[in-house]
Amino acid sequence: MARQRTSGAERMTGLAILALLACVAAWLAARQADFNPAVIVAMNHPKGAGRIVGGQQGEALSQSAGYLAGVQGFTALSELESYNPETLSDKIDGKAELYLASNFQEMACRAFSVADARAEVFVYAMESPKDAFAVFSGQRRPGAEQLALAQNAYATENALFLTKGRFYLEFVADHASPELRPALENLAQTLLAALPEDASQKSEADLFPTGGLRADSVRLAVSDALGMEGLENVYTAEYALPAGEAAAFLARRGSAAQAQAQAEAYAAFLTGNGFKPVPPGPDTAGLPEGARVLALEDMIQVVMTRGPVLAGVHDATSRAAALELARALGAALAKSPEEGKP
Amino acid sequence: MSTTGPDPAFPPGEAMKRREFLKRVAGASAVAVGACGLGLALRDPTGPSALPEVKALPGLGDYSVKDRPAGSPRMAVVRGADRAAMFEQGMNALGGMEQFVKKGDRVLIKVNAAFASPASLGATTHPELLAAVAAACAKAGAASVGVTDNPINNPESCFEIAGLAGAARQSGAKIIVPRAGLFAPATLPGARLIKDWPVLAGAFAGVTKLITLSPVKDHARAGASMSLKNMYGLLGGRRNVFHQDINAIITELSLLARPTLSVLDGTVSMMTNGPTGGSLSDLKATNMLVLTTDPVAGDAFGAGLLGRTLEDIPYIRMAQAAGAGTADFATLNPIYLDSGA
Repeated sequence: MARQRTSGAERMTGLAILALLACVAAWLAARQADFNPAVIVAMNHPKGAGRIVGGQQGEALSQSAGYLAGVQGFTALSELESYNPETLSDKIDGKAELYLASNFQEMACRAFSVADARAEVFVYAMESPKDAFAVFSGQRRPGAEQLALAQNAYATENALFLTKGRFYLEFVADHASPELRPALENLAQTLLAALPEDASQKSEADLFPTGGLRADSVRLAVSDALGMEGLENVYTAEYALPAGEAAAFLARRGSAAQAQAQAEAYAAFLTGNGFKPVPPGPDTAGLPEGARVLALEDMIQVVMTRGPVLAGVHDATSRAAALELARALGAALAKSPEEGKP
Repeated sequence: MSTTGPDPAFPPGEAMKRREFLKRVAGASAVAVGACGLGLALRDPTGPSALPEVKALPGLGDYSVKDRPAGSPRMAVVRGADRAAMFEQGMNALGGMEQFVKKGDRVLIKVNAAFASPASLGATTHPELLAAVAAACAKAGAASVGVTDNPINNPESCFEIAGLAGAARQSGAKIIVPRAGLFAPATLPGARLIKDWPVLAGAFAGVTKLITLSPVKDHARAGASMSLKNMYGLLGGRRNVFHQDINAIITELSLLARPTLSVLDGTVSMMTNGPTGGSLSDLKATNMLVLTTDPVAGDAFGAGLLGRTLEDIPYIRMAQAAGAGTADFATLNPIYLDSGA
């Protein structure tokens, strides 16, 4: 029998029904995605300990867990634990956001017997060395003793904190003792030897002028830097100068135009908070071209750009210190041919 | 418009034949009857079988002391370094533990056991304080003393490594380890966040008095963790979702359970890198122990130990506004003591 042709009205009706069904399906999907979480959590009490991973080599250990699976010469006191971005807060609760904001990938931890102490070792795998430095510098204990174990490393009475490449490591003992430090350093060196070599990567922080720089003061704020919402990935460094104390900041952006736009936004943020432009005077001579000086009572801020780099000075104890550091910063940036490119 | 004439869907010469029409009607009817039959077959006239009725709790209880004599002190601040001695002196100033725990009371002590961290690092309630408080409860005639928290890490490890399990054993108290069966949904009246949310209700079964023991700590998210933040450990589920609205959840927690007594331990305070700390350099001997019937007042005092103002820790004033206490601790006429220890 010959197939009957369908009319336009039938086709339209059919399409309308199909469209309606598609809408219903979409609505159902949306409703399911918006399922009341209380119903789920009420029926699923969390284990509270992330994932305990086996110590057997060959199992699907996370990379950071693998480094802690067998540390030669040290006795493990606990099982190996591993956490991902979803479970990190099961281990460190209110501090998890600090890591998550810095491109956290995974963490493994395990306690070892070190000298006469119980030392918990944390290996945080971040996305990049810059991210590892962000969490390292964000928690740096002021005045702590700097160590040569790694490019970024310091010790406190009972702990070591360091980075290697994209890894941030903590070695935290339950008490301090004279025997602890060398034993902790030994453990750290053992672990560092197992970690992949740091692919040499020039840091923006290397652009800071060195005169008067406090070596342990360089930090990386990944978000809301300098108090400005939305200002991301800004390095800061503190200086002790003959004219007083001041802090510098810098951040590399995708282009000179982006750096300039952020400089303007930051200057607008400052003026919105009461800062006023300082007209050029004898003491502002020698500042980089285009540098803006803003003041609120005795607080001075300098904002500048050089190529794709946004830079400036804040938290100065005196106008002279702020301007001295701004000149030094401008000169340091000028010496970097890469940053001078438009 | 005429309704007669050939159907435009069937051009001349292709008009539907009677036989075809009947076949289509029969087919459509069969589909309709089948659908109806399927619907009837699947119909459940009684609906889903009844689940055990779970009625959301309106809270975990108000254990605050209502019958304190007029003019009775409601806050004591003791300077010193020996937690047991400081607690004893402060308790005496408030009239003795018998003012708070009567013979036959079933006491629940809510500690901060959040992390599997040794007491020396200051991230958890100190075991010496727990031992002193539990012993005082027993001495006052408590029928039972339970100790609980829903830690972040593995509960058994947390209680053991923090030294709290040992302190409980030493003082005859019982650790109530959180397990799934102890959680029940709660819906705090008027709450925006605690709605059908699992809370550690099982630990409160039969309880007549609630005492909180909290260290003074910096907290990356909340600004500070003291008596009010300590109640976070009564929540179950994936409670970290509340971190996005930390001040609001702590405010609601201040109403979820009202303690009889709050003991805030600022003998050593975690000044930075909280709530986990990790370095002894994060700690500072601030040498204060606060005992109070008002956790809001206690936290307001504790903010000063951290060098912070009430503006730095918004939930304190929010809890006051919610009716959980007063941030103006001076109105409690606190008694200041020096244990000399």
